[in-house]
Order: sequence, then structure tokens, then C-alpha cells
Amino acid sequence: MNSQKPEIIDESGDKYKYGFVTDIAADSAPKGLNEDIIRFISQKKGEPDWLLEFRLKAYEFWKTMKEPTWAKLNYDKIDYQDLSYYSAPKQKVTPKSLDEVDPELLQTYEKLGIPLKEQEVLAGVVAVDAVFDSVSVATTYRQKLAEQGIIFCSISEAVKEHPDLVKQYLGSVVPYTDNFFACLNSAVFTDGSFVYIPKGIRCPMELSTYFRINAKNTGQFERTLIVADDESYVSYLEGCTAPQRDENQLHAAIVEIVVNKNAEVKYSTVQNWYPGDKDGKGGVYNFVTKRAACRGENSKVSWTQVETGSAVTWKYPSCVLQGDNSSGEFYSVAITNNHQQADTGTKMIHIGKNTTSKIISKGISAGFSNQTYRGLVRVAPKADNARNYSQCDSLLIGSHCGSHTVPYVENRNKTAKLEHEATTSKISDEQLFYCEQRGIGEEEAVSLIVNGFCKEVMQHLPMEFAIEAAKLINISLEGSVG
Amino acid sequence: MGGLVQKVKLFGEYIPWFQSMRDKGAIAFDELGLPTPKTEAWKYTKLRDLNTDDLVIEPSNFLAEMRVAAEEACGCHHEDGGCGCHHHHGEGCCCGHHHEEGECHCHEEGHVCECQQKLHVPFEAYVIHFEKGKMIPPFPDFPRGVEVMNLMEAVLTEDAKEYLGKVVDIKLHPFAALNNAYMEEGIYLCVHKNVKVDKPIVLINHTKSGEENIFFNIRNLVVLEQGAEAEFVEWYNYTGAVKSRYFANVVNEIVLGKNAKLSHYKLQDEAFKANHIALSVVKQKADSNYHNFCLQRGANIGRNEVKVLLNDENASAEVDAAYIMSGWATLDTTTDILHLSPRTYSSQLVKGVVGGEAKGVFQGKIHIAQDAVQTEGNQLHRALLLSDTAEIDVKPELEIFADDVKCSHGAASGELDENQLFYMQSRGIGREEAKQILIDAYLNEALDKVKNPEIRAWLSDYAHAPQE
Repeated sequence: MNSQKPEIIDESGDKYKYGFVTDIAADSAPKGLNEDIIRFISQKKGEPDWLLEFRLKAYEFWKTMKEPTWAKLNYDKIDYQDLSYYSAPKQKVTPKSLDEVDPELLQTYEKLGIPLKEQEVLAGVVAVDAVFDSVSVATTYRQKLAEQGIIFCSISEAVKEHPDLVKQYLGSVVPYTDNFFACLNSAVFTDGSFVYIPKGIRCPMELSTYFRINAKNTGQFERTLIVADDESYVSYLEGCTAPQRDENQLHAAIVEIVVNKNAEVKYSTVQNWYPGDKDGKGGVYNFVTKRAACRGENSKVSWTQVETGSAVTWKYPSCVLQGDNSSGEFYSVAITNNHQQADTGTKMIHIGKNTTSKIISKGISAGFSNQTYRGLVRVAPKADNARNYSQCDSLLIGSHCGSHTVPYVENRNKTAKLEHEATTSKISDEQLFYCEQRGIGEEEAVSLIVNGFCKEVMQHLPMEFAIEAAKLINISLEGSVG
Repeated sequence: MGGLVQKVKLFGEYIPWFQSMRDKGAIAFDELGLPTPKTEAWKYTKLRDLNTDDLVIEPSNFLAEMRVAAEEACGCHHEDGGCGCHHHHGEGCCCGHHHEEGECHCHEEGHVCECQQKLHVPFEAYVIHFEKGKMIPPFPDFPRGVEVMNLMEAVLTEDAKEYLGKVVDIKLHPFAALNNAYMEEGIYLCVHKNVKVDKPIVLINHTKSGEENIFFNIRNLVVLEQGAEAEFVEWYNYTGAVKSRYFANVVNEIVLGKNAKLSHYKLQDEAFKANHIALSVVKQKADSNYHNFCLQRGANIGRNEVKVLLNDENASAEVDAAYIMSGWATLDTTTDILHLSPRTYSSQLVKGVVGGEAKGVFQGKIHIAQDAVQTEGNQLHRALLLSDTAEIDVKPELEIFADDVKCSHGAASGELDENQLFYMQSRGIGREEAKQILIDAYLNEALDKVKNPEIRAWLSDYAHAPQE
């Protein structure tokens, strides 16, 4: 048990307004990673044996793996034994309703602008699952959703209440052998959201998860599983923040999405982990594996992401287009400033016939930051008439930043039509001059131009998110001009 | 890798500065080893078919070459007096040219077998002949201001000392390291200040099949002094049994002085089971211009890698290529353009046609260093897939550390347009012919980049010849 106080005072002039620390008693696992810790996590969460076995198998495999170095990222080696793999706010009993949740926690989410009290939310637009460090603290609107047969709860609850579903789909899109960070997550994942949309149901509201890392020296390893059954539809949002700390925090998550026949899933992320201060001190290391499997015919998946936070981002939301006529989309805006580094992109694997995919990636680098788009488009021999269009544009602000594009295109089917385009440029002096001449200050002009540059992606975000994202972009770029 | 690392007696072991380069090459290759699929630069070109075990490296020939050059011999040396190559039934004519059926004359009475003759190019040129990676003297007469020597001669006279081994970084390129270890054969070409060479300089390497699968290394050093202009053509050619499985490892080091201009063309037409791996590294000074065009149509594994260092302001490079392939071949076009100074320019156009079970690979990289502002780099790769089993793997890469730049790349792949085929068929052109017309037109866009019309016509003939 340890309670925490804010450790650094923000003198950097950064505008990271989510940098506060919640002073709350927490239950933490001791530092280090070994079999006992995994058993401890599993026991803490009251998990069935099959899940513990899954974790241990993953851990055994992880020990044989090496951390990947191919990404254009430069960060201090992570000591995986110097982290705590479990931290939960102390609660006497599992809360049955929101009234029983620790008021301190509720306050935290209020401060973050995430209303957990249902009556305060705009009449039922968003249902929220709030994840604080390693556990989910509250899920709203469960009752209302359950009426339609939609399951929206934390994954720990799902393990207990819907073990068959979880057992069937967990690890089916991202197996624990997939990569180093996914394997680590499979061994130690603590919480996350579970969504199941039954046949023929259109989810009436946006579902949302809000992740918050609070405790010091912990890693957050959440795991989200979304299953959309035949002819269903869901739009899912994800947001994240963390306190401002001097040391780097680790975040290694997995998102698995299964899309069946004629179903559609929209997944939007606004990633705003603490990016570190002006000199690149602190910040979250963000290593995320996100993958959607379009299993049924005519299924559709769309990833939209706005990446403004994290000191280091390693993230490639992918689509495996197995079903005939299925389609995948990827819209991304990534903004890096100061010493942030991002290596992000997507993978589109065309397996079924007539599959289509579209990639729109916009990268903006400022300050001393470095950004890489790394994407893969693969067309399997049987994916007749596959179609891909990729566009990656980068904008550079300042002469010390870098922007890189590394697309891989692998085509094994002659009927496939693949196009890839990328451009890199800076904000043109003419555009700036035009704005300034009309009385718009330089910073405002830059934000205007950047917002225009990102518009193509932003319009794919749900409305509430789009406003927040536009604000974030402005904040992220503050101080990058002049 | 028994076949690649062998003890051979080479000339020049007593020259310390030169021998130390060979030693460093051997060490570097030992450290790097053969690229594996995990090696990023070789991700798509799998070397498991390289089959190096039975490769044979022939001993040094330098002194013999020198003697022959001194005697000014006729240049036609067949030790056994005969034609030396075996014509097997059913294997067709071996003379390396592509005849319409029944047009081959090389076995008629009174006709000298073409493989006994030296190859020639259908345009006026200074031709230097190599056979199986060994120089065949004599050199043609070059005009004043153009210095051409056997590489070893240039080592002896120390003409090559300034640049040899200093343009290519062997720590990055395993096959260049290997090439260093066997450095002996090749030419040293130097064009003096403000000299414009009137005819293209052509290097023909001709490989005839023998009993053994040979492994040879060629290292060329091309230096253009300030204001010099030249055209340099490499032609890798083959005659003999199709089965021959030799390995050619070529490295070109090219230095362009201020305002110099080099057009560098290459035709890779090796045997279908042979392997050809080539690297050209170019260092450019201010206002210089380098144009490279490579047509690849032979070899089992064929890789042409061009690395250009735009070191000074206003240097520009165009690196274009075309490839056409069938069978099981893997043809790899790799480029790496480094913009290291402000106001440098590059453009690339690569077009490929892939049929059979072949695999086309394109890896193109544009790197822009910090402060290399106001640079422009463009790259376009397009490929046509002709069969269900063909494969194309593309990795166009941008690496940009400066803000005031204009960079773009594009990559597209697809099949022949049915509508276009239908259009031609409806006008009485057979489907196969229509296909060929479309393929030719497709490749012509890249071939049009070749500025010299005679060389363009020559390359076009090879690009448009249907593949066996």
C-alpha cells in the first residue's frame, strides 16, 4: 500500500492539463515480473484456471523473445523488472452502483471531463468504462445497453459473467505469440473493456473507455475485446491521460476486434498520454497492438486515431480482411512536438476477394520530434480484385524535426490495384503570409493551416471527440512556432 | 558459405594500402555474413537460392593480361583453338542474341560462331571487353583526356589510391565487402577536367558457360573531374547452356567533380540461373549531374543497387530503371538517394513487368539530412503483374530531417487494363500482340529517360524482346 503525492511541479510551461495526480490509496503488486506476480494478478482478479494458464504460457514465451529494435525510436532500455504490474485504487467492496465508488475517483474523472454520473451526460450519447491504473472503476449505462443484449463491461467482469465469449475470442486476433509487447500484455494484462454486440443490433450510443495511469512506476496493460456479431454496428471511443512524472511510464495494450458478416465497427482513439516535458524528460512509452479481423462477408472496420501524447509511440492498428467484400479504413493524425517520437501506421492484410482498404495518414512534426509512418499492405494470392489506396502526408514545422515514411507493399495477385502516395512539405510561407496579412497571428495561422491539413481525418471522428481533438492539436503545437 | 570465401592468389598482395583494403573487406564480410530475411535491406530478396557451395573463383589473370596487352595480340584467345562452348541439342542457339526462328546463322559453314567473336553494340563506342569477369586486352584507343586502365594498373600507378574503397562503405554492404576482399579485376576510368568524351564507353562482360559455376568480382572506379562529361555503359551478357549458375558481384565507385556530368546505363542480361548482384555508389560535388538507367532482364537473383550521395549544393541525380521478368527470378531494384546539402535534386522512375512465378522487388529511399533545405526528391514505382503467381514487393521510403523540402513518392501495381486490350482486339489485333504492345508502351515511359537515342534504341530492343 502506498499513497502518492505529486512529485514535480510543472515549470516547463507545458500545457498538459491532465498532469495532476490523484491522491488515493492503492493496492499494488511489488515490483518485478515473475510467475508469482502473474499468479498474484490472476488471484487478485479471481480468474478461472484457463486464463491463468493462458497468462503463464504467454509469460513462458515472452521470456524467449527479444524487444524489437526495428522501429525508428530511440529510448532508454526498459527494465521490465523495475515495474509494478498491478495497481488498483483501494476499495472496501466492489461497488455495485456509482454511489459506492470512491468520491476521489469520481472527482478525478470529473476533472478530466469524463462524467461518470449518468444523469449529467448529454441524454445518453456515450456510455463510459473508466479504467484507473489496472482496474475498471465504473461502467455507465450498462443496464440500458443490456436491454438490447449488448454487453459492455470491464474484461474482468466479462471473464466471470461471459466466460464462453471471452474464451472463444480472447487471443484469436492477436495471439500471445504475436510480438514482444503483445506477449507481455497477454501475461500481465489487468483490465480493459469488453463489448459484445449481438446479431442485428445497432448500438444506440457511442461506447467509450477512458484510461488513466495514476500510480507511480506501474505499467498499464489493458486489453480490449470487441465482438460485433452479424449485421451489428458499434462505434467505440478510447481516450487516455496520465499524470506528469519525471520517469517514463510503460503502457502496452492490446485491442482485438472481431467483425462478423455485414457488421461494422468504428474505433476512434484520442491518445493524450503525458508526452514528457520540453526537454524530453518523462512521458509515457506507448506500445500498442491493435488489430481487427473482418471475418464475415461485407464486414467493415474503421480505425480513426489522433495521436498527440506519449514520449514514444509504437502503434500499428491493423485490419485482417478475411471475409469477401470486407473493407478496412485507417485515418490517422499524429502530432509530435518537443522530443516526442512516434512510429505508427497500419497493416492491411487482404485475404478475401474484393476487399478494399483505405489509408489516410497525416503526420505533423515540430520541435525536435521524429515521426515515422510505417505501413504494410499485403495482398494474398487469392484476394482477387483487392483494392488499396494509401496516402501519407507529412508536415514539418521547424528545422530540427524529422518525418519519415516507410510503406511496405506486397502484392501477390495480379488483379489487385494498389496505390500509394506520400508527400512531405512545410507550411508554405505564402499561406502564412496570407493569414498574417489579414490580421491572424502566426500561431493562430499555423493552427488554422494544421487543422485544414488534418480535416480529412478529423471528419471521421464522432462529434464530441472531434472538438476535443481539434483543441488538443492546438495545445500540442503551442510554442512550436517562432 | 564455403563458395564465397576462398583462398585465391591475387595480384598486388605486397602493396600495403591496397592489400589492407582486401583484408578489411574479408573481415567486414565475415562480420556481416550473408544477408538473411531479417536483414532489412534484403527483406524481400531471399538469398537461399544463391547456392554458393560449388562456386569456383579463378586465379589471378592480371599478369597474363598485361603480357597480352604488351604484345598487342589479336584479342581472340581460345586455348583449345575451338569455339569452347558446347551446343546441345534442343537448347537452341547460344550466341546470346534473340533470333526469329530459323534466322540463326552461326552454325552455317564459313560463319564464325558468334561466341568466338567479340560482342559489339550497335552504336559508335569505345568498347572494353571482359570475359567471366576478366579483362580481355587490348583497350581501344581513347582520345586525349580520357584515361582508362585495368584497375590493378591504376593501383600500381597509385592513380586509384585517392578514391578506391573510399566511396563505398563496406560496413553497410556485405557483398561490397566481399568484392573488396577479391578486388583485382575491373577498370579505372578517369575523364580529365572539362573533357567531354565523344562516344559512350562500353564495358561488356561476357560469360560463357563452362563446366564450373564460377564466381567473379568486378570493381570499377569512375572519376569525372571538374566539368567533364561522359557516358558509361555496362552490359552483362551470357551465352551457353541455360543451366549455368555463376555469380557476378559488381561494385562501381563513381566520383563526380564540380559540374561534371555522367550518364550511366546498364543492361543486365545474365543467364536465367545465374546470380547478379551489383552496387553503384556515387559521390557528387556541386552542380554535377548523374543519370543512371538500368534494365534488368536476366538472372535468377538480380539486384541492382544505386546509392547516390549528393554532397554539395545544386547536385542532381536521376535514377531510373526498368525490369522485365518471368520464370522464377527475383529482380531487385534498390536505390538510396542521400540529400546531404541544400538545393539538391533527385528523381526516380522505376517500371517493371513481372510474369511467371517471378518476384519483383523495389526498395527506394530518399534521405534528406538536416539543413539540406530547398531540396526536391521525387520517386515513382509502377509494376505490372502478368500472371496469377507473380509477386511484387515494394518499399518506398522517405527519411526527412529538414522542413523546407519537397518530397514525394508513389507506388502502384496492377494488371493490364482489360478495356485497352478489348479496344485493340476489337480492331483486329490479336490478344497476345495487344498485350505486347501495352507492355512495350508501359516500359517505354522509363526507357524514354535514356537521353542518348542510339542507346535507347539498343536497350528498347532488349526490353521489348519477348522472354523465353
